[in-house]
Amino acid sequence: MDSSTSVALEPVLSFLAFSLSKLESGFYRIPGSAVVARYVKSSHQNDPGRTILELILVIFAIRTLLQSRTRTDRSGKHFIKFSEKEIDELVDEWVPEPLAQPLSEWEQRDLSSVPVISGPNGPKPKLLATGKIVTNLASFNFAGLAGNEKVKERALETLQKYGLGSCGPPGFYGTIDVHLDLEREIAEFLGTEASILYSQGFSTISSVIPAFCKRGDIIVADRSVNFAIQKGILISRSTVRWFDHNDLKSLEDTLISVEKERKKRKGPLTRRFIITEGIFERDGEMVDLPKLVELKLKYKYRLILDESISFGTMGRTGRGLTELYNVPASQIDMLVGSVANGLCSAGGFCAGSSIVVDHQSCIKQRINGTSFVFSASMPALLATSGSEAITFLRNNPSVLLNLQDNIRAIRAVLEKTEGITLLGHRASPIIHFCLRTQQQSLAVTQPTYDYEAEERILQDIVDDSIANGVLLTRAKHLRGQEMVESRPTIRIAATAALSRKEVEKAAGVVKASVTRILSKRR
Amino acid sequence: MSKMLFFLEQDKKTPSLMVLNPPSPSPSIFKEKESASQLPSMTKAVPYSSVVQQADSRAPAHDNPHAAPTRVFSFSSSVTTSSEDTVLNEDDDENCVMNPHTPPTSEQVFTTPHTEFGHCANEAYRCVSKHDYTKPFQERAIEEPPLYVCFATCVSILILYMLGRLRDFFGKRFAKSYFTHLMPHNGYAQLNSDFESFYLRRIKRRMDDCYGQPITGVPGRTVLILDRYSPDYNHTQIYTGGMTRALNVSSYNYLAFSQGRGSWADAVAESIRRYGVSSCGTRLDSGSNDLHVCAEALIAHFLGAEDALVCSMGFATNSTFIPGLAGKGSLIISDELNHTSMRVGIQQSGAEVRIFKHNDMASLESLLREVISQGQPKTHRAWKKILVIVEGLYSMEGTLVNLPRIVELKQKYKFYLYVDEAHSIGSLGSRGRGVTDYFNIPPGSIDVLMGTFSKGFGAAGGYISGPKSLIDALRLRSHSGPYAEAITPSVIAQVVVSMASIMGVTPAPRPTKSTLFPGLDSSIVAPKESAEELPGMAPASMLPMWMNLRPSLADGSEARMRMRRLAFNCRYLHVGLKKLGFIVYGHVSSPIVPLLIFNPGKLCLFVRMMRARPIPIAVVVVAHPATSFNTGRARLCPSASHTKEDIDIVLRACDEVGGILDMKHGSCERWGIDEVCERAVELVHSV
Repeated sequence: MDSSTSVALEPVLSFLAFSLSKLESGFYRIPGSAVVARYVKSSHQNDPGRTILELILVIFAIRTLLQSRTRTDRSGKHFIKFSEKEIDELVDEWVPEPLAQPLSEWEQRDLSSVPVISGPNGPKPKLLATGKIVTNLASFNFAGLAGNEKVKERALETLQKYGLGSCGPPGFYGTIDVHLDLEREIAEFLGTEASILYSQGFSTISSVIPAFCKRGDIIVADRSVNFAIQKGILISRSTVRWFDHNDLKSLEDTLISVEKERKKRKGPLTRRFIITEGIFERDGEMVDLPKLVELKLKYKYRLILDESISFGTMGRTGRGLTELYNVPASQIDMLVGSVANGLCSAGGFCAGSSIVVDHQSCIKQRINGTSFVFSASMPALLATSGSEAITFLRNNPSVLLNLQDNIRAIRAVLEKTEGITLLGHRASPIIHFCLRTQQQSLAVTQPTYDYEAEERILQDIVDDSIANGVLLTRAKHLRGQEMVESRPTIRIAATAALSRKEVEKAAGVVKASVTRILSKRR
Repeated sequence: MSKMLFFLEQDKKTPSLMVLNPPSPSPSIFKEKESASQLPSMTKAVPYSSVVQQADSRAPAHDNPHAAPTRVFSFSSSVTTSSEDTVLNEDDDENCVMNPHTPPTSEQVFTTPHTEFGHCANEAYRCVSKHDYTKPFQERAIEEPPLYVCFATCVSILILYMLGRLRDFFGKRFAKSYFTHLMPHNGYAQLNSDFESFYLRRIKRRMDDCYGQPITGVPGRTVLILDRYSPDYNHTQIYTGGMTRALNVSSYNYLAFSQGRGSWADAVAESIRRYGVSSCGTRLDSGSNDLHVCAEALIAHFLGAEDALVCSMGFATNSTFIPGLAGKGSLIISDELNHTSMRVGIQQSGAEVRIFKHNDMASLESLLREVISQGQPKTHRAWKKILVIVEGLYSMEGTLVNLPRIVELKQKYKFYLYVDEAHSIGSLGSRGRGVTDYFNIPPGSIDVLMGTFSKGFGAAGGYISGPKSLIDALRLRSHSGPYAEAITPSVIAQVVVSMASIMGVTPAPRPTKSTLFPGLDSSIVAPKESAEELPGMAPASMLPMWMNLRPSLADGSEARMRMRRLAFNCRYLHVGLKKLGFIVYGHVSSPIVPLLIFNPGKLCLFVRMMRARPIPIAVVVVAHPATSFNTGRARLCPSASHTKEDIDIVLRACDEVGGILDMKHGSCERWGIDEVCERAVELVHSV
């Protein structure tokens, strides 16, 4: 029995011995292996426990390296193990919700009431639905550049030479000389060192903010900033402190408290930004720029100012608030404006010192929220249209005087209207009004009004005034997605393209509509 | 280790690099030739379209733009066959960038200049973009370079890093004026942290001359590059005022629809005359016009979807619509190589995100099984919905999504599918409908199709399409509707005309104004195709009344020819590079051909050397932010406007430059460059 097993084991044993010797000789053939062997031998002699410890360490290291890094959840304590069959059953049972929640009755009405213009937009567009020509108090055509023949001519010339699309992001042969020209012209116009163009106005500020503000930085922002700024702040992941809407006293208090906190924590100096708007898109309030700049300099903050509404409309030649208040634009670290609104073309820009702009153009590469680097540059003809618009503004300062006249005319009529409250600064080219109730302020924490009911009334006013030949629009917001819910308003955009008489007449129509609808309600 | 030396040299401020840097003040040989040929031809009679066009595009842009053009806009109409031919034949310039390889015969009519759209009449150089179901789908063929290349790449990155750190260290102590923005000063914190900006300042700055190169004119077959040089190592760029015409394999003008003249431009011009430049407002308040409505209907028809919605920016299409699709309680499963715009959108949506390995269907399936069985984290509640987001054609890899498999999975696992067709729409598929067309999968089986206009259509902006209920909800609930400016009329007109020309328009009841458009567009129209009628043509009533398409556009033959040229060029370039021994990623049909270079030092050398060739070639290289550090690559984008000879030129250039830079590490069977050029047609049809 014994002999038979040993006979049977013999080839196995000899094979083992053979492979062992082969392994050994193979191991010693590796350069440097002698050192390892010597180390293991000596360490084992001194302390066999150490060898075991080291072996465990090696095994642990290999295991860690081999472990998949993406599937961390599987080992988590919340992970439930299922058999394949159970998973199949769960998959079969699962019923997803529809991709989109169907529109409510109000939303459907809202959507169907969106005006569609047939043909060119301008001071007197034709509506597609009715075929009627209406007076436009809704579109952003402040300086009356829509349909400007010179702009059109320039656009046509550009088209011939450049085609339409730029067909590439700015980094990859998408920068056309006309982009550089417009960037330079905007910078010269504003008096900053440089500027950078974005291909969509809305995406401009929401990319500019995360380009500079990072996690750990401090942003002090107005509570009622527009949606694009809110998104930008969200993406930046910075620490945000809000101050009361257009209240520089509250801003100063916030700045002081931030400074106090920092002193208490003795933390390092972080980047600090004040973000606000020149003229607020939501209600037409205007910021007191000299005071703001004074605060920013005093507390050593950088200022990001969104001039989407005020650029191209305010000041003698449309340079914006900096011209109006005679504050050098170089004092504003990042001045963001809209080529789409102010210059009646498309896109947006950020102007500032060349460090800011350069930094932006390169840092954009890295961060998320970068609509500059990862998006195709704007079509050449839109850039030259912007350039032409700047030339127009430079040469025709009277246009903005007309605009101011018209604003005054509209406000004069609407101020006398019963049942509504005009909001905003009296020089603002956008004029919001809401229904008059006890509560006058826009941003209220506990709404004392019925949001939907007010929206419906306002929509009735809009519909009525469109039927009477004046195009109006409610200020559209994404309810539930905005940080602060503001009161429903109707937004009037003044334009220089209409004469004072026409504007007065149109405002009269609005007034009549308001009175009619409100009296019906009562 | 040559690149190491090269970087060291650059650091020691020796101007050795400038030899390779063509945008130096001294003009290249090629340019002298160009300007010499320009003068005699300028003196000839007026209606030489290409000559005028060239002169036009050569005129520096900062000249007074109001003074120059006095000629009629619709110039293409005044070009006659004979005059065109004389120009093309008499010009004895041998330069194949300016003039076609084979002069056209009298029957062939070309109205676009050769520099913008290559004249190629050879029907052999065509190919149909279609998936071959007899062959297995290759999800991602990744060829690994030899070990020493990986090693050298790592070493060179390390050297770059250490040099940068050293320079920062000493610079901050001895040259403070250059570092103010990196250091706290005057009570302000530094604007950029030096860690965050290190890559940009110390690594990318070295190759800044390869990025952001300004151009002028149409980014067509060739492109006019504004010459520039940098006296201070790319801190500032100085424009010399000169320009270089280079062969363009970097723009996304796949079908060359972005043209200075021709039907497309004519339609856009008409739209500007009728609508002006701006749409003055957002879609929801008062920026909508009839062109938007018309375009959206046309896009839906084009894609076979119920409804579509346009957005004025491609990036924003993803970043503002995705939040409207999924929110809290939903799960988004995203490919690891999805574009930044999608990642921004996902981030803003508030939904949970899980990532699967690039185009790896097994990984996707196992992930799906896991997430559906586990439900939401901690609570284990079932997901409200799962949205899988993939790209049709990945812009950095050139890979095609494995759509057939994903659609199978979709049926089993009931997720919603979102396909971003930014690069594939227009450029893939026998009918230009993108990946669904390429794989012949009904578009209805995909829930959301998104795409951009800035590539295939030569415009700007993007669209999203799907069921009507979804699109209506997006109109109201997405960020774009109430806050972003509407797409401008000129851009939307380009979209409409491009799309209509791809689809073809069913019997045109409107008489085309023969006085306006006597000629055919840009290239030859094969007569046998003109009568053909394909499904999915657009009814004439869907186009704006004023939009007149030339016959070659209305029957779709012109666009079809372009798509087939594009398909040929893509395949030829892809397979040709492989045969030459390069490592090329991606799918053979992809209009993006990523040519792997690996080493960051070679990236900029590749661009400079390609630009310094007798026939300069404009190429794009991509590195860190878009790809990983050690897989730097050149991204070549052939377009329909390239002729076979152009691709030959690119291949020859790559062959030579790639040989010098030691880039040929592919394992494919190798051919010589001449053999590749000769057997091009065979090569293209072999894959």
